[in-house]
Amino acid sequence: MGLDYQLVLWNKHKKRYDKIIALTMLLYIILFAVVTLIFNSETSIETLVIRAFGSLAIIMLHIILVIGPLARLNTGFLPILYNRRHLGVSMFIAAFIHGGFSIFQFHALGDTNPIYSIFTSNMDYTSLTNFPFQVLGFLALLILFIMASTSHDFFLANLSAKTWKRLHMMVYIAYILIIAHVFLGAFQQETSPFTIGIMIVGFVIVASFHVITAFKESKIDNAKAKSKNNWLKVCGISEIEEDRAKIFTIENERVAIFKYDGKLSAIHNVCKHQGGPLGEGKIIDGCITCPWHGYQYLPANGQSPPPFTEKVATYELKLIDKTVYINPKAFEEGTEVKPCNY
Amino acid sequence: MTSGLRKAHKYIWLLLIIIVPVIIFLSIKDLNVFSSDNNTVSSIEPSKKNHLKTIENDILKIALYKNSIDAILKKTLKHPTSIVYELNNDGSKGNAIGQLTTAGIYKFNINNLPKGIILYDDLKHVEITKLQF
Repeated sequence: MGLDYQLVLWNKHKKRYDKIIALTMLLYIILFAVVTLIFNSETSIETLVIRAFGSLAIIMLHIILVIGPLARLNTGFLPILYNRRHLGVSMFIAAFIHGGFSIFQFHALGDTNPIYSIFTSNMDYTSLTNFPFQVLGFLALLILFIMASTSHDFFLANLSAKTWKRLHMMVYIAYILIIAHVFLGAFQQETSPFTIGIMIVGFVIVASFHVITAFKESKIDNAKAKSKNNWLKVCGISEIEEDRAKIFTIENERVAIFKYDGKLSAIHNVCKHQGGPLGEGKIIDGCITCPWHGYQYLPANGQSPPPFTEKVATYELKLIDKTVYINPKAFEEGTEVKPCNY
Repeated sequence: MTSGLRKAHKYIWLLLIIIVPVIIFLSIKDLNVFSSDNNTVSSIEPSKKNHLKTIENDILKIALYKNSIDAILKKTLKHPTSIVYELNNDGSKGNAIGQLTTAGIYKFNINNLPKGIILYDDLKHVEITKLQF
């Protein structure tokens, strides 16, 4: 959380994380080059670069896609989610090197504009074995470029969280384009069951985690609560840990009920920054802290402490015989609600 | 994440589970992926059958096929234009086949088998080289 926009708000965790990313990428490229030179020593440098960075980008994309559901299933993965954008930009750089070298090698040495050449050098759209797969890769690269260049919080704040999220969900279109690019491109020249197997296994793992998480979340969303005079029964007070929250669903939307300093407060569960689950965070320095990127809110009014301006909806609570009840009607975002004392 | 976004992610992945296997199936169905045959050799074989003759000199290497000519220009020429013409029976230049620019590999489709080719500079009206099959 920062007031002014800096290129990167560095901290020691981010620096460590980025070093791991850079070293792993470098290690992969070296390993790929060594294996290629051992088993296929006639490969040219350009081809080696294209293949090494292309395969690296695909592996990184699969890792990026699996981080979200992994963090939902196990909070131990949250630190990776916290820095996912750095991984995304690194993946774009790998994809850009792959695309750049491909365009240079296959399209830049003629008398036609290289970009025009990508779209016109092969127009055999009806053939599966000779499909113009480079067009698919180029379109995917364009989407990845848009995502990487708007990944900064400056764009998140100025485009609005809703628009930004929609823009970044284009990663799924890029994913389909990349799968088609690989299967209609590289595999048409080198039909190896091994490489096809790796892509299929990658897709199965990513898709399985997403579907398992989706159904788990749907179950929580569809949970029905018992009502008493328009107040919904949440849980016994002992079920909520100190400085932590109980997440409760009201008409498909989630509310986080926090227990702290002998008080209870309820706010909407969705962080204004990137939609992080506030109820999975904890109270730090008297503020509810989002587990994804550390955005903070005051429990009693759902407002970010000054000078920040983010605010979320608040709810009224009451305690009867050590059982917590909630009024399902949300107050306006940032409305002060007296905490329920216990 | 709001419930709307959660639903959107769920339906996107259910859709991907259908779309991606279809793409994978369509892309590999025509490939002999699980055969032990060498796919590279089998794809080159038909070309070998159509190959008729290869000739070369200091400037050009020409491979004649049933329906095409592959030309390798060994070095970039000091001529403003270099047009490839069919060689007629009487040794004169016939129909134009194509144009060479810088050193590299060129492929031209042909309808009839020519007796040879003439590389001709149309601006200077100079015969650069002639090859007979």
